[in-house]
Amino acid sequence: MTEPEITPAKRTIAKLPLAAAVVALAGLADAVYLTAHHYNAEPVPCGAAFDCEMVLTSPFATLGGIINWFSPGMMAATGSVSDIPLAAFGAAAYFVAFALATLTAFGDRRMWKLFGAHVVLMAAFSGWLIYVQAALIGAYCQFCLISAATTFTLLIIFIISLFLGPGTTKIAESLD
Amino acid sequence: MNNTNNVAEKKSNTPILIIGVVLVVALLAGWYLLSSPKTASNTNTANKANAANTTKPNTIPANAPQGANPPNQQGSPTALVTLEEFADFQCPQCGAVHPIMNEIKSTYGSRIRFIFRNYPLAIPAHDKSYNAAVAAEAAGMQSPNKFWEMQNLLFTNQKAWTADPNYRTTWKDYAQKIGLDVAKWENDMAGIAAKSRVDEDMRRAKGMGINSTPTLYINGVDVPFQQMNVTGLKALIDAELAKAAPQNQTAPAAPANTGNTNK
Repeated sequence: MTEPEITPAKRTIAKLPLAAAVVALAGLADAVYLTAHHYNAEPVPCGAAFDCEMVLTSPFATLGGIINWFSPGMMAATGSVSDIPLAAFGAAAYFVAFALATLTAFGDRRMWKLFGAHVVLMAAFSGWLIYVQAALIGAYCQFCLISAATTFTLLIIFIISLFLGPGTTKIAESLD
Repeated sequence: MNNTNNVAEKKSNTPILIIGVVLVVALLAGWYLLSSPKTASNTNTANKANAANTTKPNTIPANAPQGANPPNQQGSPTALVTLEEFADFQCPQCGAVHPIMNEIKSTYGSRIRFIFRNYPLAIPAHDKSYNAAVAAEAAGMQSPNKFWEMQNLLFTNQKAWTADPNYRTTWKDYAQKIGLDVAKWENDMAGIAAKSRVDEDMRRAKGMGINSTPTLYINGVDVPFQQMNVTGLKALIDAELAKAAPQNQTAPAAPANTGNTNK
């Protein structure tokens, strides 16, 4: 069974994937900001109820810290890779989510399944990172919570699409 | 018809174009944030944990409080290389670094001086951390070796007692296991002396601007987080040994002189 053709005369953009693409863009901006923060070592502006530095300078903010948490003996093997900030992986993940949602929005429905699998993994990891902030670090970073909220929003959009279909509601886009 | 196909073909490139534009914008934004004048002078990306804290110097300030005196130390007090660790008993990474410290101590013996400083972080998730430090100090009041034995048990069983509501009973079991006079240990835990030692260490840590654990210093120089592994620490220690006494480089490792029982 092939994917439905998009009629050239009345091409449509699926509303849910479009919304997902916009949300993913917000997540991408957040993650790029945190990645830059990691490398330029500038403190981020932080609300009174948060302790961003405690979170962003914790070992859990880097790939090496995460690897070391799950497998302490492996950290030495990761070398310089261990200092790659988690935010960089977040940026890559949001970019992939954006790309998949955009492709879906423009008619490639197969990408939506990949998008779903992708955001499920992202949401699972975000959930673990919230646990890390709450239980292991004991402090929260607003930018990390924004990222988690963004990921869960993407997941919710995908779940809604399971009931409605990604292109149920469409924005008409005339080619004329 | 031909015109319609051309239009369709043109449209099919739109998402790729959008994705490409977003990628370029994201990369440019990252580059701009990194290269802004405000941050251009700081190119040290080695230790995020330290670099991100603008108040924490890379070396120990000369006016830093001295901490508990005498410190909890192993190896030789006159060694050419001093490794000073600030740790929190409920910090998972401190627990992960603990076996690395043991291996370093075992490898270098009296060629280094290892100092352990208590730095229980005042955060809700580390609610037992201060008391754990006091428990280790109270053990040390019976014998320096007992401090290290208690410290070892607290780190190696970190996950167990952290999640245990009856953690004090668990610690009491540890005290019995390492042969402490338990009544005296409990008395010392409630007393001022053990707490004062923890407080002194904390004062030193705060005076040095430390805001995360584990934090390590080798001869007063901050160790980047990614080098807190056996390979990284050996490289730094060997460099310090070579710098301090090149003629001693070929000397064989001697055993620790303070009874390291952490293995």
